[in-house]
Amino acid sequence: MSTQRSGRAAITGIGVVAPNGQRTDAYWKSVREGLSVLDRITREGCGHMPLQVAGEVQGFDPSALIEDRFLVQTDRFSHFAMAAAALALDDAGLGGGAPAEPFSVGVVTAAGSGGGEFGQRELQKLWGQGSKFVGPYQSIAWFYAASTGQISIRGGFKGPCGVVASDEAGGLDSLAHAARAVRRGTGTMLAGAAEAPLAPYSMVCQLGYPELSTVAEPDRAYRPFTSSACGFVPAEGGALLVVEDERKAVERGVPVRATLAGHAATFTSAARWADSREGLARAIRGALDEAGCAPEDIDVVFADAMGVPEADRAEAQAIGDALGGHGRRVPVTAPKTGIGRAYCAAPVLDTVAAVLAMEHGQVPPTPNVFDVCHDLDLVTERARPAELRTALVLSRGLMGSNAALVVRRGGESAR
Amino acid sequence: MTRRVAVTGVGVVAPGGIGATAFWDLLSAGRTATRGITLFDPAGLRSRIAAECDFDPFEHGLDAELCQHADRYIQFAVVAAREAVRDSGIDTAAEDPWRTAVSLGSAVGGTTRLEHDYVLVSEHGRRWDVDHEKADPKLHLAFSPSTLASTVAEQFGAKGPVQTVSTGCTSGLDAVGYAFHTIAEGRADVCIAGASDSPISPITMACFDAIKATSPNNDDPEHASRPFDAHRDGFVMGEGAAVLVLEEYEHARARGAEIYCELSGYATYGNAYHMTGLTSEGLEMARAIDTTLEQAGIDPTRIDYVNAHGSGTRQNDRHETAAVKRSLGAHAYDTPMSSIKSMVGHSLGAIGAIEVVACVLAMKHQVVPPTANYETPDPECDLDYVPRTARPRKLEHVLSVGSGFGGFQSAVLLSGPGGRTP
Amino acid sequence: MITTEVTFDELAALMKKAAGITVDPQELRQSAESPFDSFGLDSLGLLGIVGELENRYGRSLPPDSERCKTPQEFLDLVNSTLKAGA
Repeated sequence: MSTQRSGRAAITGIGVVAPNGQRTDAYWKSVREGLSVLDRITREGCGHMPLQVAGEVQGFDPSALIEDRFLVQTDRFSHFAMAAAALALDDAGLGGGAPAEPFSVGVVTAAGSGGGEFGQRELQKLWGQGSKFVGPYQSIAWFYAASTGQISIRGGFKGPCGVVASDEAGGLDSLAHAARAVRRGTGTMLAGAAEAPLAPYSMVCQLGYPELSTVAEPDRAYRPFTSSACGFVPAEGGALLVVEDERKAVERGVPVRATLAGHAATFTSAARWADSREGLARAIRGALDEAGCAPEDIDVVFADAMGVPEADRAEAQAIGDALGGHGRRVPVTAPKTGIGRAYCAAPVLDTVAAVLAMEHGQVPPTPNVFDVCHDLDLVTERARPAELRTALVLSRGLMGSNAALVVRRGGESAR
Repeated sequence: MTRRVAVTGVGVVAPGGIGATAFWDLLSAGRTATRGITLFDPAGLRSRIAAECDFDPFEHGLDAELCQHADRYIQFAVVAAREAVRDSGIDTAAEDPWRTAVSLGSAVGGTTRLEHDYVLVSEHGRRWDVDHEKADPKLHLAFSPSTLASTVAEQFGAKGPVQTVSTGCTSGLDAVGYAFHTIAEGRADVCIAGASDSPISPITMACFDAIKATSPNNDDPEHASRPFDAHRDGFVMGEGAAVLVLEEYEHARARGAEIYCELSGYATYGNAYHMTGLTSEGLEMARAIDTTLEQAGIDPTRIDYVNAHGSGTRQNDRHETAAVKRSLGAHAYDTPMSSIKSMVGHSLGAIGAIEVVACVLAMKHQVVPPTANYETPDPECDLDYVPRTARPRKLEHVLSVGSGFGGFQSAVLLSGPGGRTP
Repeated sequence: MITTEVTFDELAALMKKAAGITVDPQELRQSAESPFDSFGLDSLGLLGIVGELENRYGRSLPPDSERCKTPQEFLDLVNSTLKAGA
C-alpha cells in the first residue's frame, strides 16, 4: 500500500442554493433570523396532491452562473449542484478556470432523487409521442451521477469522482468521502448534494413515505420535537463545499473556515425509528473518536429532526446516550424546520449552517417549533450567542442510515 | 491505517444462467446470452436486443414480500448476495453487526418500476399533472436508490456503513472500491459489496437509441456484442447482479475462510472531458490503472490479465486500448485483455461487479475468459483480445477496468494469495 | 410547390434549442465551413438537432448527418435528403 498522507480536511469554500437564500450570506441571514419559508407548493402540475407544503427555491435563475449548453442537458437538481459548485469555488478563490493540476481536484456528490423533472418530460415524450422523441440528454440527465459528471467536466476536475446515491445521511457521507480523499492525497474536493424532488411524478413517488407530512398549513406542517410533530416536509436545493488539504489552503493563503474532523455511519433499517437510537448514538461516538473529541467539547448539535414522534424521541435519547449529561446541556438546533428536508442535501445545508454559526458565534433557532417535549436544550425563537468551536451534525435517512459529523471552527487545532 | 482485504465469497445473477457456476460455464465456453428482447415489446426501437436473465424470484427462495414488492434489480442483488455469503461460509449472525458493511452500486436503480407506474399515473404520457391515486403505495421504494443497499443489509443484519453507489457504468467497480476503502481504513471488517441493475425497459433502451450507443444488429442478436472487432456497432444492453464478500485479511484467516484472492488496489478518476465522449488517449483510465499498481506495489509487467470495459462502441474500445498501452507499455501486447460483455451484454451499473467476479473466477480456474464474436481485427485495437476461446494461463495479478457516462474511469486490482508484495 | 429547406436561421435556432448554443445566424452563414465544435456544438448536440429535424419532417436522415463536421456540410446533406424525398 502507498503510505497515506494525512492532511486535515479543511472547508475553504461554501456555495448554497437554498429555499431561504440563494447565496451563503442570504442563507445565513434567514437561518439566523429563524425565518420560515415553508409554503404551498407552486410548481406546475403539483397542486392537486396530498403533499401540500414544501421548501421551494423560488425564482432560481441558474443562467447567471452556468452556461446554457450545460443547462439544456441537465435537470434542475444538477442546475442547483452546478450553481452551488460555482459559488463554492468562487468563495474558495478557485473560480478562475481549470486547475493547473487537474488530477488534484475531485468531485463527490450525494443524490437521492435524481433528475426527476427531466425524466418525467422524456417519459412523457416516449409514451405520449414515441421513442424517437426521446432526446439525447435523457441518458445523462436522469441518472444520479449527472451532477458529479457535469461539475467535473465544467471545471476540468480529473481527481477522484464519486456519487453516493443514498438516503439523507448520504449528504454527510459525501463530505466524509471528500475528507478521506484529501487524506489519501487529493488536494481539493468539491463535495455535497443538491436535490430537486418537487416535480409532479417525483412527488407521487414520495407519497408512500409514512414519515411525510401532509398537513396543509405551512407553519404547522413540520414541527419536530413537539407533541404536534406530524412528519417532515420535503425541500429542494442544496450546497457544495470546497474541501481542501489544510496545508494547501494555508499555502494559498485562503482562510480555513472549518475542518471536517470526524464522521461515522451506521444502519438500523427503514422506519424502525426506535432502533435508530442506538445507531445514531454509535455514529456520534464514532465521529467523536475520529475527531479526538470528548463529549463536552461539542458546543452545538444540529439535529436530524425527522418530525416523527418516535424518531424525535430516539434522536433525543441518542444525544443523551452519546454525550452523557452534556447532552442535556448542549444547545441543539434544527434550522431545517424553516426550509424543509432536501433529502441528501439537508445535512449538507446543516453543515453549512454549523460553519456559519461557529463563524458568527450564534446558535440559530428552530423555526415553527415551540413547547419542546424532549429533554433537550432546543434553541427556538431567536438565535443564541455562544462561543462555538466544535459542532456536531446529525442525519438519518428514510431507508435507515444514521450518520454523524464533527466540524471544527477554522484555526482550532486538533487535540 | 491500511489493512489487507480478502475476497472470500462470490455470487452472480447473470444472463445465461443464475449462480457463479452457470456464469463461469458460460464464460469459459465462450457462449453468448444476447437475444431479442422479451421483457417488453421493443417494436419501434432502433436496438431491440439485450442479454436478459431468465430469473424466477420464487425459484430462488425469495419470500412473498420480496417477490411482490421488490424491484427486479433488488431481487437480483438479494439472490447474488445470498450466494456470496453462502460461498464465503461466513455466519453473518455471529459477526459484530456494527462492523459489517454493505456497499452496492446501481446506475439506474428503480427506473424500470418507476417507468411502469409512470405510464399508469400519466395515462400513457398524456398528463403532466399525474394522478397520484393510481400509483403503487410502495413506489417510494423504487424512487429511493438506497433501497438497494438497505434491503440487502436487512437480509444479513448488517449495521455498519451501508451505502449505495451510483457512478453510472462504473458503479459496480466503485462499489467494490468503496468497500475496499471501508475495510482497508478500518471502518468495517466485513463488507457485502457488488452491484445490480435491471435496465431493460422502454425508457432506458430509448435513451441509448437516441445517442446511437447500442447495437442495431437486431437480425443477429447472438453475435451483436462485438468488442474490439472492426465491425463493432455499439453495446448490447444487459441486466444482472454480482456480489462479493470482502473481509479484512486476518479476520478471514482467523475463521479459516477459503480466500479466493486479495483486493489489492482501487482507483477512480474523472476525465473532465465529456458526459458520453472519450478521448483517443485514455489518459485518465491509465492514471487509474497506475494508481492501483502503486497501491499494491507491483510493477506493470506483473499484470497477467486485463478484464476490459470493452463495451463494443467504436470510441470505448479504442480509448481503452490506448489506456492499457499507456499503463503497461510493451507488456500490454503480451497481456490478454478480454471483454465478457461480448457474452453477457452491458448491464450498466451492475457489470463492473459482474466483471470483478469474472476475474475472481478466472483466477480460481487459472483460465482467461474470451471475447466472443471477435473476428476482424481493428487496426486501432491491436492487443490480444483472446478471441472466442477461453485460454488457460497463470493468473496472479488481474486488473478490471471500467469507464462510464459522466467521465468516470475506474480500476480494481486483484492479487492471488501469495502474489502480493507484503 | 412547398420547398422544404433548412436555412442557416433555422439551424441557429435549433442549435439554441437543442444544445443551448447562442449563435448569430449571420455569423453561422459566414463561418459555414468552420467546424461545429468551434461554435461549441458537440456530438450529442448534433444528435439532438438531427432528432428534431427527423421528427419535424417525419422522415429519417442519413446516418452521416450526425457525423457532419461543419454547418455547410450538414445543411447540404439535410437539404439534399429532404429534396430527394419531397
